[in-house]
Amino acid sequence: MLNKLISLAEKYFDEYEIYEMNYSVDGVSFENRVLKEIESKIQTGISIRGIKDGKLAFAYTKNLLDPEEFIDNALASLKGEIEAGFSFPKKYDLPTLNTYDPNIEDITNTKLVEESKRVSEILYEKTNTQINLGAGKGVVSVHILNSNGVDYQTKSSFYNIYAAAMYPGSYASVDRLIADKKFKEFSKEDIDYITLLFNNSKREVKPKGGRMKVLFLPDTMYVLIWRLVSATCGRNIYEKTSPLINRLGEKIFDSSLTIYDDPLNDDFPDARSFDDEGVACRFLPIVEDGVLKNFYYDLYYAAKLNTESTGHGYREGDESIRERPSPSLHHLFVKPGKSNFYDMIKSMDKGVIVPSALGAHSGNILNGDFSIGLAPGLYVENGEIVGHIKDSMAAGNIYEVMKNVVDIENRVYLSNMGIFPSVIFENVSVAIKE
Amino acid sequence: MFDVLKDIISRVSADYADVRYEVMRETKIVMNGKELYQIGSNIGDGFVLRVLKNGGFASIAFTKKEDIDRAINIALENANLMSKHTKKPVRFTEVEVVKDTFIPTLKEDPREISIDEKLELLKHYNSIPLRFENITTDIYYFEVIREKYFVSSEGTEIREDLVTNGIRGSLISFEGGIVQNVRVGIGGSTGFYKLMDREDVFEDKTKIVLDLLKAEPIKGGVYNVILNPDMAGVFTHEAFGHFSEADLIEDNPSMREKMRIGAELGNGILNIIDDPTMPDQLGHYKYDDEGVRAKRTYLLKDGVLVGRLHSRRTAAEFGEDVTGHCIAEDYRYAPIVRMGNIFIDPGKSTFEELLERLGDGFYILDAKGGQTSGENFTFGAQYGYEVKNGKVGRIVRDINITGNLYQTLKDIVDIGNDFELGEVGGCGKGQLNIRSCHGGPHILVKNVVIGGV
Repeated sequence: MLNKLISLAEKYFDEYEIYEMNYSVDGVSFENRVLKEIESKIQTGISIRGIKDGKLAFAYTKNLLDPEEFIDNALASLKGEIEAGFSFPKKYDLPTLNTYDPNIEDITNTKLVEESKRVSEILYEKTNTQINLGAGKGVVSVHILNSNGVDYQTKSSFYNIYAAAMYPGSYASVDRLIADKKFKEFSKEDIDYITLLFNNSKREVKPKGGRMKVLFLPDTMYVLIWRLVSATCGRNIYEKTSPLINRLGEKIFDSSLTIYDDPLNDDFPDARSFDDEGVACRFLPIVEDGVLKNFYYDLYYAAKLNTESTGHGYREGDESIRERPSPSLHHLFVKPGKSNFYDMIKSMDKGVIVPSALGAHSGNILNGDFSIGLAPGLYVENGEIVGHIKDSMAAGNIYEVMKNVVDIENRVYLSNMGIFPSVIFENVSVAIKE
Repeated sequence: MFDVLKDIISRVSADYADVRYEVMRETKIVMNGKELYQIGSNIGDGFVLRVLKNGGFASIAFTKKEDIDRAINIALENANLMSKHTKKPVRFTEVEVVKDTFIPTLKEDPREISIDEKLELLKHYNSIPLRFENITTDIYYFEVIREKYFVSSEGTEIREDLVTNGIRGSLISFEGGIVQNVRVGIGGSTGFYKLMDREDVFEDKTKIVLDLLKAEPIKGGVYNVILNPDMAGVFTHEAFGHFSEADLIEDNPSMREKMRIGAELGNGILNIIDDPTMPDQLGHYKYDDEGVRAKRTYLLKDGVLVGRLHSRRTAAEFGEDVTGHCIAEDYRYAPIVRMGNIFIDPGKSTFEELLERLGDGFYILDAKGGQTSGENFTFGAQYGYEVKNGKVGRIVRDINITGNLYQTLKDIVDIGNDFELGEVGGCGKGQLNIRSCHGGPHILVKNVVIGGV
């Protein structure tokens, strides 16, 4: 079928790219120590982009049963006369990354259930609260070939487990996520982290709001990073909607902050040597010592702005074949600092820790504004967590807040949107209902 | 297709099994500012098999017919595993066996309208905000047609189509270092006609996004507010509705205790209903993805909790009636409990009466995302107006509200006599539901925490 598709693509297009994806994943979930669900997926899909007379065609299907009909769908999209402006990349010698650990195949669903049960029981014993937990594993394969000689494949394995200690009467929680390319035990350290944060904050407190120190945990750093990712995206540079246009080389954050994309770092799952357009991946600093260094591009927006793709064309969304590639940072890191996490808490005279955030997606993201509900806020006084706050919000603009870094943790964790340490910021506005 | 599905079911040795096959036809036209970014129609398909055996319940989604045997084996293994480990064997509430076909009647079937015409219409609406040099847009036409085939081991066989289309996106204005945006969305589940002659919507939003450039940020504090139907709808959906979904609370004893039938949760004037049977609304369907017929369901009556939304599994767990609210995003997912059309039932007050009663406070409009942690919720609003002495004044921006669900249900002190449901939806609960629909009347709420920037 694939060969038939290639010969049709050669016949109808000046250039073409075929992207194939398949994955199989299994997941189990526990709520309140009860096994709630075991879910599996085996999915495939294929997508084509063609260029003819400088115009771009696009189509996808789940199941390549009829290559001619598939090509017809792609040809029909040429009617839109979307200017491509770029050529598909040529073949490079890519570094070999270690993305697949064969041990993943030994993780049975029974093992997922047993590990989840073990962690649930220990955490329950230590916190005496409701524990929710999920564990999953899978293998994802991507294959890209194009008319300029690219023919790359990658296969990645992943295992993850997250556990949450829930505050009664709500879904506010303290969580920890562990992810790897193979099975990794949820360690004593991870259990101690949840236990300490939860047990010390059991009591509800109602301090006065105002400006104070705010410690974003790795799990909530995305609230701030989201705004930066959006403002440095090639698309928003082209659309002129980013407040960072013409500010490369300027100091935008505290000089302790270095933020970079590192797709080649295969210590974490899903490292990549090529992006979803077959462009070679590379290390890209976004902010170095507080100074704005780079924007990131895919082929399309790079061409629009007369620059080169930085290797950041990814098919976003939960089913990659359905989306055209667009600029995206898939391997973002905030550089760790020097401080031990628990010492950071001890150093806070007064402030809140944010274990989970509500409404990170609302507010004026492009402008850098955020205004999040704390779910909950852990209140710290004289270096001790004294309780949790229910009705409270932290708000600000990242171009002010991220200028005032107090301290950065010496470790990083895979979290939502990237791999981050905990960071304390100073003088953040926190509203608390009295 | 029914033969293939019946064959799959016949090969599953379990207490219960069902399988859903779907073909999804998707048309998407994306404009970024003046430029066309994506256009085309595509097809995807796949199977979802669910099995119940000895109290163990498992599901698997797969694409290819070649994988049928592997999928059956995995599902049975997982059901066995769950049966061995669960403290709570899964049971299903008995339902009527149905053999039916439901193809909705459409006014102007989008499938019969050429992609060129859709593109022209999109360009036409897009040109309204783009008259201004300091506005750009991010607007798309979408059309999702799900052709569903459902067969169960009990003998149910249902063929149902869901047709959803619309035009949605954002208008983004910029001036100096300030960037503002508003969302726009028109469409529904009843045909292409909903998209015609809607220039007024785009004119209104254009004016608002320009006004926002000059708006003052709202000052953080605690205020009395009027929420417009969209904001009231998001409150109903996010803060309350999700905890009416039985699967979300079943294994959370403290939430379950709070959400017990008979609990006096709200002000006595408050009635909340979920009704997927409303034929002209976005959230309309006849059968859910377990083959259960959808029912209009009272959730809150005179402030008292009287019902909740169920799947067959949760109905059995709670000992309550099925409601037909178990819905999947598409062929990649097993269904979960979802809202259909959820709203606060209109009250008696006119908008003017609400303003008069408010006196001083804010009039807050159009949601911009919302989230809840159970007790506490946070929603963004796209814009608002200061109200002084019952008079609507200057526009304000950067509005995020937060509150406690139970307190807020009591703090809803007046309900408008108007009613409006959303035309485009989208609720993410692990999977997306583009037909999730909410709205209601204007409502007056006391003591709302607004977090300013």
